[in-house]
Amino acid sequence: MNIGYMIEVFPKLLATLPITLLIIIVSAILGLLLSIGVTYLRLKNLKILGPFLEMYVSFMRSTPILIQLFLVFYGLPVLMRSLGFNMDFGAITSCIVALIVYNGAYLSEILRPAYLAVEKGQHEAADSLGYTPFEKFRKVILPQLTPIALPGLGNAVVYLVHDTSLIFTIGVVDIMGQAKLILANNYGENKIEMYLTIALLYWLVCLVSDRTIKLLEHFTYLKKIERKSKFNKSKVNKEPVSIQ
Amino acid sequence: MLSIRDLRLSFKENEILKGINIDVNKGDVVTLIGPSGTGKTTLLRCINYLEKPTTGSITLGDLNLNYEKITKKEILTLRRKTAMVFQQYNLFKNKTVIENVMEPQMIVQKKSKIEAYENSVEQLDKVGLIDKLESYPSQLSGGQQQRVSIARALALKPEVVLFDEPTSALDPELVGEVLKVIEAVAKSGMTIVLVTHEMSFAQKISTKIVFMDKGNIVEEGPPKAIFEDSTNPRTKEFLNHFYMNKLHVV
Repeated sequence: MNIGYMIEVFPKLLATLPITLLIIIVSAILGLLLSIGVTYLRLKNLKILGPFLEMYVSFMRSTPILIQLFLVFYGLPVLMRSLGFNMDFGAITSCIVALIVYNGAYLSEILRPAYLAVEKGQHEAADSLGYTPFEKFRKVILPQLTPIALPGLGNAVVYLVHDTSLIFTIGVVDIMGQAKLILANNYGENKIEMYLTIALLYWLVCLVSDRTIKLLEHFTYLKKIERKSKFNKSKVNKEPVSIQ
Repeated sequence: MLSIRDLRLSFKENEILKGINIDVNKGDVVTLIGPSGTGKTTLLRCINYLEKPTTGSITLGDLNLNYEKITKKEILTLRRKTAMVFQQYNLFKNKTVIENVMEPQMIVQKKSKIEAYENSVEQLDKVGLIDKLESYPSQLSGGQQQRVSIARALALKPEVVLFDEPTSALDPELVGEVLKVIEAVAKSGMTIVLVTHEMSFAQKISTKIVFMDKGNIVEEGPPKAIFEDSTNPRTKEFLNHFYMNKLHVV
């Protein structure tokens, strides 16, 4: 194995990391926002919109992301033209749009069960005290929903990182795209070293996102109770608190 | 002060409450008794609109509402004049004891933090939990949790407190401490509507007993009239069962 080659290509691959990160961060944030909207509307059990949203979620979750990428890349310009907008989409925009639409559905299936996992009694307590629906959500439901949803959201970020390894197929020069170019110039030499380096790079990215999520989990109330109990050494009822 | 007129509630074809009329005066302790599944809890939950009655009207202080035409704003007003103590305590799990009592005052009544804190400490002292301010609900026993929930309800200074089987989820050793607190609340002149299966307790603290069966009020009156002098066959049957079971257990 050629370690020297790995060290040599590493900076070249690293140089394309910002593109991957940009796509991950933008589609994670906007995807999360979309999924919050989708979840809110789905939980309302709307008569007409409801079935459409279920179809959307089912379709996005059941079709491979690669197909969705192609559909958006080739389909979006056609769709826009038929609507009268004459604009060009770069490959990166197409990727981001595809990943947002995908995550809007995927994350909604993490948020919806997390919302439903908050006990009915918590809703009733807030209602009986005279909280407005928004106050109830902000002060009671959201803080309890978050620790339940966080591990699932953390997994979703890891999947998102993996999904970005497919975007080279529509011509984005990201880590994978760069690797393809280097390999082509190299007559396909040192393939193993190249892919191993890429694997290590993805691992690094996931490690950072994983740590971030763990840190967020640390600040939610479930961990707070755990920490406090250790400190107090008091007897804790092992009640439904252990949701994870 | 609180009066309910012709309250009806149906789930689909099934009529749960069949035209209830109740009057509660200021300082009254009204206890709803009766077999399980007769709508006692449902009636109590209608008072603060946790259940949605099909028809009927309610008067609470200067608030006069028709359940059929109730608006969101009226629901909030109604709920802010009442407070509820649940069978399962329903304390906010993500908040400490003191936060549980403080937060509703700050959010609903817009009290300042200091004001809310002082009031909360006073209430928690009354229920004997002054040393548990920083505990989370999961670190407390059922009886302690229920006492926090009573403090949370009282801290809002409601016009009426609704107790929904406050001791039914507790083990027998913890029932006493909660009943003692409720008795103190009753003696302080607070208006109370209570659903319970603790018959001797009901007899002791109530000013009025309401016996319900199958969605109707069968009989109502002072404790003595219901528990000792009732001539209604259904009431007698229910109470006989109750006393017999009690003898059986002892």
